[in-house]
Amino acid sequence: MIKTDVLVIGAGPAGSTAAKHAALGGADVILVDKKSEIGAPKRCAEGVSMGGLESLGIKPNPQWITRKIEGVRLVSPNGTSVWLTSDTVELPEAGYILERKVFDKHMAMDAARAGSRIMIKTLARSLQQEDDGYIVNLETMGEEFQIKANIIIAADGPESRVARWTGLNTATKPKDMESAAQFEMVGVEMEDNHCIEFYFGSVAPGGYAWIFPKGDDIANVGLGVLSTKTSKSAYEHLLEFVEDCPATKNAQPVELNIGGDPVGGMPKKLVTDGLMVVGDAAGQVNPLTGGGIISGMTGGMLAGKVAAKAIEDDDTSKERLREYEKLCHESIGKEISKYLKVKDYMLSLSDEELDSIAEAFKDVEFEKISTTELVKKLVKVSPRALLKLGKLF
Amino acid sequence: MILKIDLRGGCEEMKVNDWCMYCGECAGVCPRNLIEVKETSIIFSKEECKDCRLCMQVCPIGALEPEE
Repeated sequence: MIKTDVLVIGAGPAGSTAAKHAALGGADVILVDKKSEIGAPKRCAEGVSMGGLESLGIKPNPQWITRKIEGVRLVSPNGTSVWLTSDTVELPEAGYILERKVFDKHMAMDAARAGSRIMIKTLARSLQQEDDGYIVNLETMGEEFQIKANIIIAADGPESRVARWTGLNTATKPKDMESAAQFEMVGVEMEDNHCIEFYFGSVAPGGYAWIFPKGDDIANVGLGVLSTKTSKSAYEHLLEFVEDCPATKNAQPVELNIGGDPVGGMPKKLVTDGLMVVGDAAGQVNPLTGGGIISGMTGGMLAGKVAAKAIEDDDTSKERLREYEKLCHESIGKEISKYLKVKDYMLSLSDEELDSIAEAFKDVEFEKISTTELVKKLVKVSPRALLKLGKLF
Repeated sequence: MILKIDLRGGCEEMKVNDWCMYCGECAGVCPRNLIEVKETSIIFSKEECKDCRLCMQVCPIGALEPEE
């Protein structure tokens, strides 16, 4: 049987970051992924903020950046646009559109360079708890084998099966699971191909549609819906959106991506004896935008560091690992809770309300207006905003 | 394409259509953690299934369906 200090299950950005930091902290680390290619197929619109990468100590690399983003266009159901561009407003989410297939591999390579052992095409299937960790049953190329690990870091994405095997409740309810479908398209005609676009309303019930440019006429065009708010599949909504949206009328798809995005926030419990859960598996996703690369990697970094220290201290109890849980709730939990409330408000708006809000904001000069004034203006056209958002800002 | 589905047990027959892309969203919402999504196949433990059909409901491409 193979023995290791730390076994990371799942080599997405959160898992690879966890593996890297656990290895840098001196632990023996194995990183497994069930797929034959790390990073593919992508299940993501690929946007990250510059500040987020910086906070993780990752230098932007032209090999995995396709586009620098300079602004945001918000589009209401009747086509009214609100532009937020970086010359008029400081955008916290200004950033890059990645090439995830390259980015994810680079993150895994960093984990390997830090000393992690990587096993691809390797699926974790079950586990047994031991006095000092777990025995995990895995399968690769039809062969079953076991790894004995003192700590497991569960980074198995929206499926989040691994943590559930130990009794943690990380299942996502359908009301909190966005069903997403996306085309990567060519021939996209955007009004400004350095801005990301969001389309709200019944075009994507329970979510929104997006166009994230990856080149002058190339973009990720997708949407997320809640299955509790529509009887159509995400794919059916996507086909309708692509046909109706002026930017994609003449565009052609070169790739289809689908997947779930857990937008219900983080569960309270992220650890148990000898196990920590990170990334999408831990709901480390901005519930409003569905973005989870930076928050998941932040979770991964914190878990990796705590894992290395716990191994060094020879204490992998849940009491010891709770340090990770505490750090997570402090660093990303508060933002997630705040955006959860904004999301609930957004979901309560009808197409007409969204149109009147867009109408009120379309000519606002954002650099001359404070957040408080913005909210006041919002409350004027949407009184419910006061109730739902008043305490947040 | 390999589709290993255990058809014994509790629930109605479920069909995994061959356009399934193995994204795993069904596994994430299964309240009983019964769905194992491999790179190009799904293993579904039917015996413990309570037929809630959440897996079918969330599939982004309608690949999971009740068998006629």
